[in-house]
Amino acid sequence: MTNSIDTSIYTAITEAIQDEARRILSERSVIAVVGYTAARRKGSAQPVVITQADDAGKLIFSAACVNNLAVYLTKAKKEIPKGGKIGIVVKGCDLKALVGLLGESQLKREELYLIGVPCAGVLASTAQPARELTGDTIAPKCRECDNHLPQGCDFVPDQRPVTLELAGKYSAEIARLEAMTPAERWAYWKEQFKKCIKCYACRQVCPFCFCEQCLCDRNKPQMVETTPRPAGNTAWHIVRAMHLAGRCAGCAECERVCPMDIPLNLLNRKMAKELKELYDYEAGFEVREKGPLAMYDEKDDQSFIK
Amino acid sequence: MHHTEKHNFEPKIIAFVCTWCTYAGADLAGTSRMQYPANVRVLKFPCTGRIDPVFILKAFQQGADGVLVSGCHPGDCHYIAGNFHARRRFAAFRKLLEFVGVDLGRLQFSWVSAAEGGKWVEMVTDLTERVRGMGPMQEFRELALEEQWSGAIDTPELREAYNSI
Ligand code: SF4
Ligand code: SF4
Ligand code: SF4
Ligand code: FES
Repeated sequence: MTNSIDTSIYTAITEAIQDEARRILSERSVIAVVGYTAARRKGSAQPVVITQADDAGKLIFSAACVNNLAVYLTKAKKEIPKGGKIGIVVKGCDLKALVGLLGESQLKREELYLIGVPCAGVLASTAQPARELTGDTIAPKCRECDNHLPQGCDFVPDQRPVTLELAGKYSAEIARLEAMTPAERWAYWKEQFKKCIKCYACRQVCPFCFCEQCLCDRNKPQMVETTPRPAGNTAWHIVRAMHLAGRCAGCAECERVCPMDIPLNLLNRKMAKELKELYDYEAGFEVREKGPLAMYDEKDDQSFIK
Repeated sequence: MHHTEKHNFEPKIIAFVCTWCTYAGADLAGTSRMQYPANVRVLKFPCTGRIDPVFILKAFQQGADGVLVSGCHPGDCHYIAGNFHARRRFAAFRKLLEFVGVDLGRLQFSWVSAAEGGKWVEMVTDLTERVRGMGPMQEFRELALEEQWSGAIDTPELREAYNSI
């Protein structure tokens, strides 16, 4: 296989993560570590929260460690013990989401101990978790990743990932859609949105969908039809993309969990692209107090306003 | 007396306006006896900063053929920066609508002050005539009529099974 991706460093990274988790837990500098552990099927992985140094050996890192664990620090944070620092294992893309949450005052940096992973990529699908990581099996987000090495972490293993130059799938697809006529684009999205079953898995998994009450669940007044009909689905996807514009970190978790295979991260990435062009803003590793849609410049473009 | 030309299609235009400038401007147009298309339905808000993009979406879903959003000129917002925030939000929202395939000709943004009755008339007339030329907004209407739960559920196998019952 010529396009196979070298994941041999993941073994050494696993050991480094285990050692570090053991150290910080036994020194009681953190009360828990959120990481990945082996799941039941061979080669698969699942999120885990460990609170004992003795459990550090359970932690792993592999190409099947797809989840963005930052979500456990917002929505699901009630399940994580309070009263101390929390350690968390983050890949570059996950860290960008976490940094966004810091900027939105959902988390405090001093309450976190960040274990960054030098990451060569993860699998697109965990249906066959033991598959080799190649240019064909790698997640689309990793094809256009420029954050293989997380920055600003408390601990990062020394290994350095070797990555392949791969053509971006998202950027190509966005360009393809942009070249269409509005009617063709409408037809495309109509087919896609039609499939949605309103399971809200995409909302559940997104670190930024932390509102205690989502606008899309409200019924007095009802802004977005809740039934999984084409009209309500379209509204849901437009509102979702709008609420995440300028915030989405591109972890592509939403798209990964969608049971109906809707390419919904295209909308988020398109918005990220537009906001970069309009306001020169991009999700990154630097904590910023305000996103592009929470601030303004008096000289902003208004060529579209009469 | 204004002319009473008959059209085949009278578009529904929804205008979301801020109360301090554009609403007052529209009022001025009225008290000055200026004529403009009666196609526009005006909805008044405290500020353009309060006009959530979801309102625009909802207007289209409920049968609007065109939407106008209008407020105070930059620097004149009565809440200082409401329209600056709105400007960014709408710039982003336009891009999103465009990407899902909505023709942006149906959506107009403007700044109309309390003294600009004439500009209000011009905005409403322009948008109404442009949308009249474009015809009814079919996309959202068709969507609302569709009941299909999921595209993938209609397979030949399922159809056969259903027909054999
Ligand atoms: S996007 Fe980058 S950091 Fe995230 S999993 Fe892929 S390669 Fe790793
Ligand atoms: S919208 Fe999707 S890609 Fe963006 S942060 Fe949320 S889950 Fe990640
Ligand atoms: S995960 Fe997919 S099917 Fe479920 S609500 Fe989101 S887009 Fe719809
Ligand atoms: S008060 Fe008119 S735009 Fe804010």
